[in-house]
Amino acid sequence: MSADALAYPFIFIAIFFESFVLVTLLSKPARDARARTKSTTTPSVAVIVPCRNEGETVATTTESLLALDYPKDKLQIILVDNASTDNTPAVMARYANNPQVRVLQAAERGKHNAVNAGIAATDAEFIGCLDADSFVEPDALHEIIPCFDRSEVAAVTAAMSIHRPRTVVEHMQNAEYSFGITMRHAMASINGLYVTPGPFSFYRHSVIRELGGFRYGHQTEDMEMALRIQRAGYEIENAPRARVYTKAPRTIPSLIRQRTRWTNGFLRNMLGEYRTLIFNRKYGVLGMMVLPIALTAIVSTVALFLLSITQFVLQAIRAIEIRLGIPLSYTLAPHYAGFDWFYFPVDTFIFLGFITLVVSVGLIAYGRHLSKTSMRLAPSLLSYLLYGLVAPLWLIRSTANVAFGKHQTWK
Amino acid sequence: MSTPLRNALIALGITILLTATVIYAVNYLNNARLAELAAIEEQLSIDTLSLETQFLLLEAAPCDSAASSTTLTSELADLGSRLAYTESQLGTDNPQVVYLKKKYSLLEIRDYLVTKKLAAACGTKPVTVLYFYSNSGECTDCDKAGYALSYLRNTYPKLRVYSFDYNLDLGALKTLIAVDKIKGNLPAFIINGKYSHGFTTLADFEARFPKGALSTSTPKKN
Repeated sequence: MSADALAYPFIFIAIFFESFVLVTLLSKPARDARARTKSTTTPSVAVIVPCRNEGETVATTTESLLALDYPKDKLQIILVDNASTDNTPAVMARYANNPQVRVLQAAERGKHNAVNAGIAATDAEFIGCLDADSFVEPDALHEIIPCFDRSEVAAVTAAMSIHRPRTVVEHMQNAEYSFGITMRHAMASINGLYVTPGPFSFYRHSVIRELGGFRYGHQTEDMEMALRIQRAGYEIENAPRARVYTKAPRTIPSLIRQRTRWTNGFLRNMLGEYRTLIFNRKYGVLGMMVLPIALTAIVSTVALFLLSITQFVLQAIRAIEIRLGIPLSYTLAPHYAGFDWFYFPVDTFIFLGFITLVVSVGLIAYGRHLSKTSMRLAPSLLSYLLYGLVAPLWLIRSTANVAFGKHQTWK
Repeated sequence: MSTPLRNALIALGITILLTATVIYAVNYLNNARLAELAAIEEQLSIDTLSLETQFLLLEAAPCDSAASSTTLTSELADLGSRLAYTESQLGTDNPQVVYLKKKYSLLEIRDYLVTKKLAAACGTKPVTVLYFYSNSGECTDCDKAGYALSYLRNTYPKLRVYSFDYNLDLGALKTLIAVDKIKGNLPAFIINGKYSHGFTTLADFEARFPKGALSTSTPKKN
């Protein structure tokens, strides 16, 4: 199969999906979600912070929770140590005397066990999770609570950004997270979310209890829980102005490791317990469009990347073969004689790819605008161009892991 | 109709519209490119005819038209580059590309004949190469030969290279092939009237040129 034959359907699906997001953003449910005002009611809330070797950041995370603009008697913070080997327990112990904070030790290892230990220790109406490397804006909770107005809403996600991105890899992820803010907002308006990310997602306690708490979920307990919520017929909402900042991997290898774990989890959940959701009309846009497109995107990207690399290498070998014996001074000399539109590459795929890129940039910029996150757009957008080169690496790795039954450790 | 379904149908409509617009635009631009090629060919056709007429008119002093011949050959080379690029974009089977290639080949043959006439009349000693190639896959060394000829033409501007697609269905080209007794062994060359075929290395290829033919030319300074 040639790369072109695969590329055209892929680019068509990409444009279709972006158009769908744009249309959805303009439709009434999304407009209503944007018009939602901050809550005035203050139901009881508990935020669980599962910690494993997060001694450096857990204090900042806890302080940001204590600074939340919410009645102190309604907000409980539960710090759960998950077999840390650093100074995390010592840092957590500093908050032991704070009446708002409860410090626990998880009996069993695993993030899902830590979260479940926290859930068992509270009667709050709503339960939030916050990774111990993340922190929140003071008004975040007031943005989240009104999303639970309808009883069928079982979970609410926040708007994630990267905290003070410095490296190219962090800027790249910041653009991606900003894109995610727009996507999550659009998809939530039609109940198309399948992840409730670790940073500041909230759950209706009664539903979590009904569903039996968190599970291992192939190292993606947040995704597994979201899929279980959807399967049970509940909805997942989004609060695009509930800002939460998280630490991101700073290097390409650590990013690939993190994303491989996420993609592994997605593939294993989708091909395993939750495969019945795919192309199932009962699950609406999630079953009929979001999940099939997400799976198609992984498979197509892997195939397209491998095909392109193979073609590139073969062409490079051929180009070298042709040029062998010709003086390098000629081969390397620029043969450019000024701009001539005649030689301008006019190709349907290039044009469609350019449209996809422009729309992506628009969706990134809109995410920033929507969440009112301060973000330097230029470096993020420039770094985002790298994404297309790096993402296939973790997609290939995770696809291979799943295909060969290889399991990955957390760190 | 549910909101997601309605949105999906609108999105599908937008996607089809966008794709159709892009296909139309690309087609339009490609046609514009072909039109430009046709216009250049038309102009070169007039120029060739003019040169031939000039040659006949100046029977007493035919060498006055030598400068025009050099310009024409250089314009022909530029047209060749454009045609090769268009062929790589639109494919070798594109009917318009094939048509333009036929016209281009005719122009090349006519230029070649004028060059020969001028050489005989004026005593000049141009180095001409008739290069026969094939794009249909059976000629694995044609790309190498084409690149080597580009290098030589760039290095020795007085070298006149005429490239012909061996498989082009064109009467004049078939006659040229028959007259020069070109067999199917490609790449094939007629270097100053002498037949050879195959390509291994640049050094081996340069050795096929008449002694001093390349060194006497003024090397182009990059």
